[in-house]
Amino acid sequence: MIHGVVMNELCLRAIGAAKRKGASYADARIVHERHQVIYTEDRRVSDISDSESVGIGVRVIAGGAWGFAATPDLTKAAVEKAAGRAVEVAKASALARAPKGIRWADEPPHHGVFRTPFKKDPLEVPVRDKAGLLLAVADEVLRVRGVKKCTGYMYFTREGRWFANTSGASFESDTVMGVAQYTATAVGPRTAKTRSLEAYPANAGWEHIEATPMLAEARRVGEEAVAKLKGRPGPTGRRDLVLMPSHLALTMHESIGHATELDRVLGMEESLAGSSFATIDKLGKLKYGSPIMNIVCDNTMPHGLATKGWDDDGVAGQRWPVIKDGILIDYQTSREVCHAIGAHRSHGSCRADSWASIPIIRQSNIGLEPGRKTLTPDELIADTKEGILIDGMGSFSIDQKRQNFQFGGDCFWEIRNGKKRAILSDVTYQAITTEFWGAMDAICDRRFWMPFGVGNCGKGDPGQTARMTHGSAPARFRKIRVSPGAK
Amino acid sequence: MNESRMMDTIRLALRAVQAGSAEVSVGYGSSITTRMADNIITQNVRQEGHNLSVSCAYGNRHGGASTNDLSDESIRAVVRRAEAIAKVARPDPEFMPPLPATEARKYLKVEGFVPAVLEATPRALASSLAAAARKVRARKLRLSGAVTSGWYLNARGNSAGLRCFHRSSEVETHMTALGAAGSGWAQESSHDPAGVNVGRVAAEACEVAARAQHPGDLPPGKHTVIMQPAAAAEFMMFVAWAGWDAKATDEGRTFLRGKLGKRIFGPNITLRTDPTDPRCPGGPFDWDGLAMRPLDLVRNGVVANLLYSRYWAKRKRKAANGWPTNYIMDGEGTSVDDMIRSTARGLLITRFWYVRYVDRMIPSATGMTRDGLFLIENGRITRPVKQMRFNANLVETLNKVEMTGTPVRSYMLVPALKIRDFPFTSTTKFG
Repeated sequence: MIHGVVMNELCLRAIGAAKRKGASYADARIVHERHQVIYTEDRRVSDISDSESVGIGVRVIAGGAWGFAATPDLTKAAVEKAAGRAVEVAKASALARAPKGIRWADEPPHHGVFRTPFKKDPLEVPVRDKAGLLLAVADEVLRVRGVKKCTGYMYFTREGRWFANTSGASFESDTVMGVAQYTATAVGPRTAKTRSLEAYPANAGWEHIEATPMLAEARRVGEEAVAKLKGRPGPTGRRDLVLMPSHLALTMHESIGHATELDRVLGMEESLAGSSFATIDKLGKLKYGSPIMNIVCDNTMPHGLATKGWDDDGVAGQRWPVIKDGILIDYQTSREVCHAIGAHRSHGSCRADSWASIPIIRQSNIGLEPGRKTLTPDELIADTKEGILIDGMGSFSIDQKRQNFQFGGDCFWEIRNGKKRAILSDVTYQAITTEFWGAMDAICDRRFWMPFGVGNCGKGDPGQTARMTHGSAPARFRKIRVSPGAK
Repeated sequence: MNESRMMDTIRLALRAVQAGSAEVSVGYGSSITTRMADNIITQNVRQEGHNLSVSCAYGNRHGGASTNDLSDESIRAVVRRAEAIAKVARPDPEFMPPLPATEARKYLKVEGFVPAVLEATPRALASSLAAAARKVRARKLRLSGAVTSGWYLNARGNSAGLRCFHRSSEVETHMTALGAAGSGWAQESSHDPAGVNVGRVAAEACEVAARAQHPGDLPPGKHTVIMQPAAAAEFMMFVAWAGWDAKATDEGRTFLRGKLGKRIFGPNITLRTDPTDPRCPGGPFDWDGLAMRPLDLVRNGVVANLLYSRYWAKRKRKAANGWPTNYIMDGEGTSVDDMIRSTARGLLITRFWYVRYVDRMIPSATGMTRDGLFLIENGRITRPVKQMRFNANLVETLNKVEMTGTPVRSYMLVPALKIRDFPFTSTTKFG
């Protein structure tokens, strides 16, 4: 039985034990996660399963180095033992510690409770209703001639978190997340093509799924899968790209979000996820993009996937710009690394994916600010002579410094003489990050700004999965190199 | 945690089941990961966890639930939850009843656990990294990387009486050595701690890094390439994952539709699975207890088998063969040095990064080279070049393999490969 007062007492017990064992700093984090996943394949439900996990992670600084230990056992003796193991691990780490130990930025000790605003807990909605929606979608999609397969899934989580540290912080959070998605597959004699629709991942209740026109758009999604199958491949050469928010989310994630994580910039992820071209000597100078490019992190955003009240360093959620008028001006930081850019306070970008994982810098909710001039998507298309409109996410690949990238998409339309024309079967675009963002010459206005999200961002060693929101309005990029991909 | 306690948990769960049939699994893992960046230990993590999963069915209505709380009360609660879901689930025409107890007789002996893994400690791993870093620092390079040592238990049981248990160990280290203008990388992994040496891997990463400094420009285009085993493994994973599922293939949703029994790759390509291979032991059974057997996916360039789930096998009157727990690509034993000597002009690739499908139905993929790309001229390495992006048709590429090496364990067991006309489409600005 999870009881907040008991959880808080166990966290305090753990950090007390760590202190007694010699830790100069300690934090303890109990996380109780509940998940539900539903999969459908055509008109059958292939899997419904619930899962639950609870445990405590104890992180300490001892001997000038980090240690971490975790246990699912929430007895008093077990959490004290975990704290002791964390101190032992830290002392082992001190065999190769930084000469001056760990610098740890101050943060006022926070107290309170953060809760995701929601109306209907998706875990309490009957599974029959949830699966029923996906099956109704499949019925509709499979009516489209040429569509041979419809797969769907829903995933919901509810996470309770209790945190305390030796600086006096003590808080809890209660977050709710949901995502639903389906894919239509059209099969032809030589190949097959897919088209998807997603109720994007959001920290929100079941009402978020209900507000997405999953069923109403099912026929269109199926028809677009068939149109892709029958479409001609995209061109090879340079074209203007009109990128929708559902697509730009991933491009921003890979080419801006990861590149501005300060641990990567400092080389702390060099051996696995990689580093960044946006090094700190370029801070305040690097022309990341065109003057209309403004990138803002916002961990106070309602329904943002990274919005949790406080991060796992105990730092309060904040809103701050990282790119202003096209210039790199800041990073996503943690209490350990923010001093590298002369900051005295972390921006609060440090999160762990479970009680068993150590917090590391993860992307915040990071997005492109809307254009300041009035501009609708229709006006943007009307102003484009020879281009391609891309919706949804597809193939994606980027080098370990976040410079050379290649993206696909979920659906592509040719734009000719200001009009959206036929669907194309295959399009990829390739660019260097700064050249791509430097080619952005128009962004639709605030009315068309939409949040999307990434629900499975991998980073760290051992690997961790994180979620974050990336919002934007449709935007145009001039003369980007495109091709239909390898044949 | 041990086999006895896991089986007790399975018995307790199955006793609590009121549904017509049930499958229960208990997993356990214990691992230590010590991580370094710029010669400093930045992270040292000791993790331990277990999980109970229960799947219950009333006829062909099924549902599942899992928990990491193994108390008696929790075990009974998770069974009730799985049953509650199953009761409201719709009938699943593809549901397969639990396998009989006799399936256990088919399990092959897999030696995937070495007890020495139990002796690993955070201090021992940290010591090995610290020693490696001292040597690297002396070479004016910086070392980043990690070493992980872990062991894992997997127990399963069902209401038809089947019981199975398997334990495995895994030790892995990967190291990146950085100079002022270039990096090198190396990796080792094994189920046996004796097969992994942090100092050796760090030294190899340094050798690659020393050669990789100050890379020059080279235009993209089609080049003969020699993929070191790690690069070949990254590439071959995307071949192995591209479309062997029989149901999807029969429905026209993979590139292998109509290709079974046909030669589509070069005659020197053989890709297979064998859970008993001592170089890369897999698992003796699949997620539902199905016995895993050696199986050729490609034999001498011919698509030899597809992968059948129990449902699709029954429908198509084939033998179910589950999903591979390891992949092996055979090689002819040519050394990388001999491959280099045989190359008039080409590129030596240390490893790939961020490989992703572009179109699974071709299948085609894109990705970057990383941590050491070297120009070969007249049979020897002449200089490092800046990293490149490839866009390749995987089938065409595997028709252009000119030489294969001795298989090495990386992400899978794969030899170095020499391939002609490998298509690079762009470069980046660093080495």
